[in-house]
Amino acid sequence: MANTESGPGNREKNFILSKKASLTPRDRVRMAMAHKEPDRVPFDFGSTSVTSIAGMAYEKLKRHLGSDSQTRIMAKQGQVAHIDEEILRKFGIDTRPLDPGVPDNWTDIEINPLTYQDEWGVQWQRPEESNSYFLLKGHFEGDENGTLEALHRFQWPDPKDPGRYRGLRDRARKLHEETDYAVVFSPRATFWQDAARIRGFGDFFSDLVTNKKYIHALLDRILEIRLEITERMMAETRGFIDVVLVSDDLGTQSGPMISMQMFEEFVKPRQKIYFEAMKKGDPDAKILYHCDGCIDVFLPHLIEIGIDGLNPVQVSARNMGDTKRLKREFGRDLFFWGGVDTGRVIPFGTRDEIFEEVKRRIDDLAPGGGYVLNFVHNIQDEVPPENVCAMFEAAMEYGWYGG
Amino acid sequence: MSRNQELTEGIIRGDRENVVRLVREDLEAGHGPVLILNDGLIPGMEKLGDQFGRGEVFIPELMAAAKAMNAAMEILRPLLEASGVEPLGKVVMGTVKGDMHDIGKNLVCMLLRGAGFEVIDLGVNTSAEQFIEALENSGARILGMSALLTTTMNRMGAIIETIRRAPFGEEVRIMVGGAPLDEDFAAKIGANGYAKDAPLAVDRFKELHAALQP
Repeated sequence: MANTESGPGNREKNFILSKKASLTPRDRVRMAMAHKEPDRVPFDFGSTSVTSIAGMAYEKLKRHLGSDSQTRIMAKQGQVAHIDEEILRKFGIDTRPLDPGVPDNWTDIEINPLTYQDEWGVQWQRPEESNSYFLLKGHFEGDENGTLEALHRFQWPDPKDPGRYRGLRDRARKLHEETDYAVVFSPRATFWQDAARIRGFGDFFSDLVTNKKYIHALLDRILEIRLEITERMMAETRGFIDVVLVSDDLGTQSGPMISMQMFEEFVKPRQKIYFEAMKKGDPDAKILYHCDGCIDVFLPHLIEIGIDGLNPVQVSARNMGDTKRLKREFGRDLFFWGGVDTGRVIPFGTRDEIFEEVKRRIDDLAPGGGYVLNFVHNIQDEVPPENVCAMFEAAMEYGWYGG
Repeated sequence: MSRNQELTEGIIRGDRENVVRLVREDLEAGHGPVLILNDGLIPGMEKLGDQFGRGEVFIPELMAAAKAMNAAMEILRPLLEASGVEPLGKVVMGTVKGDMHDIGKNLVCMLLRGAGFEVIDLGVNTSAEQFIEALENSGARILGMSALLTTTMNRMGAIIETIRRAPFGEEVRIMVGGAPLDEDFAAKIGANGYAKDAPLAVDRFKELHAALQP
């Protein structure tokens, strides 16, 4: 994008007060995840497709910072941007993303110019004025598709497709050996959310009550494929990554999506298998679990079956806003990754409010280590670039340990 | 257990097959559709809504019940219409322009139908003009709008303004909902109501509907 408003450096601020830094970014993140206080709170921006920024907001941010690089998109859903190295350095970001390869034998099917179908049979659509895709419908929607036969008939994604793994080891090794950033790997580890998308949310949720056998079979089938992909990928990345991301939403704004009984019947035993495979795949990588919404009731269970960290700590959801309490109750077992409110403060807050919010989350979550600062989920398109900058300025001001 | 209690229980358990069977049998035995609806089915949805509000049941239970309710309504609706029974009220629903999230909105639609409303669901990505057209064509004067993104939430105010400028715009009672919203925001953009979850939304729709009656 042409850079018309400001020349490079015009508005540049000295974001990195590097004179105080005594650790490499990777050691900083590793110490924090080990519940020890590093030199300062580590920051993430863009290491995963749930801790980044929407494309249009990123364009504005780059213009504001005087960068004219071409935006690369890492996820079509939500149109999530890859953050350029120069911006990561400007903000003092301690993490870098590692993404898997794409399958050789699958290309998304164009249904029409606004709609495509992915390898799981799920259709995504975008509104005309935006490039951001939203869930349209799942392959198994409708009563007639809620059967075991329908599951058998479907052409499932091929976990052995070599495209997924090609070059992964080299990219991982390069990040590990040639940079000193913490490497965050996203093997697309999910099964619950996949199932809801594939079956369609309405049918999926009612099936949990009335068609349990089918749901168990659907979840098993997805888990089997995702698990094999994750295991093969982690055999490539072993020893080179610091964090592995797993995600499955279990919460809404006002409460858990499902009862504890359903969590224990459908989710927990499968997650246990998943987390154990990840630990076995790379004992040195920490498992970061991304789950939106109000989920505090599940946290003791998730800790029990092996998660190390929680993202995004959706502070606008019920029971998730009191980060002091979350730290007190779960901070010994769990590190927190996220926490800066994007429901109101980052999009609409004043500079002072943003500083206050950042300070509060650091005060609540950072003592004793165990905190990686990031906003709650991706920055949305309307967020002014000044606010994104203010957040990282505030983080750099308040993030240092030991005064 | 009485027949009506059995129906109520069937709705609460989301037992679609049993609910449909009971409704058919009751109709064959000469029970009127209005009584089946008011004394059998609706109490089930209401009880479940209360349990949801108290955190005793969750989305799956609501969704299963709403589906059982819809299956029953498919049988009852033609009979209710034939006997001149009007729906409780009409509601136009949609997710606003630029936003394609519809899980929460669909849940509200299902519960509204379960409560006896006729729902004109415009789906996702709905413009002010589409809302106005649907209000005009259906005669509905209650509108529900949903937004799940902070971006699209900010367009709700402009959509409401446009609707207010329509000839009947001041009469329309507008409910808004969606994760990033709250009561203050709803008031600020000139909405008539807000609810933070689906069963509460149904209660608010009922209040708005009652207030509209002469």
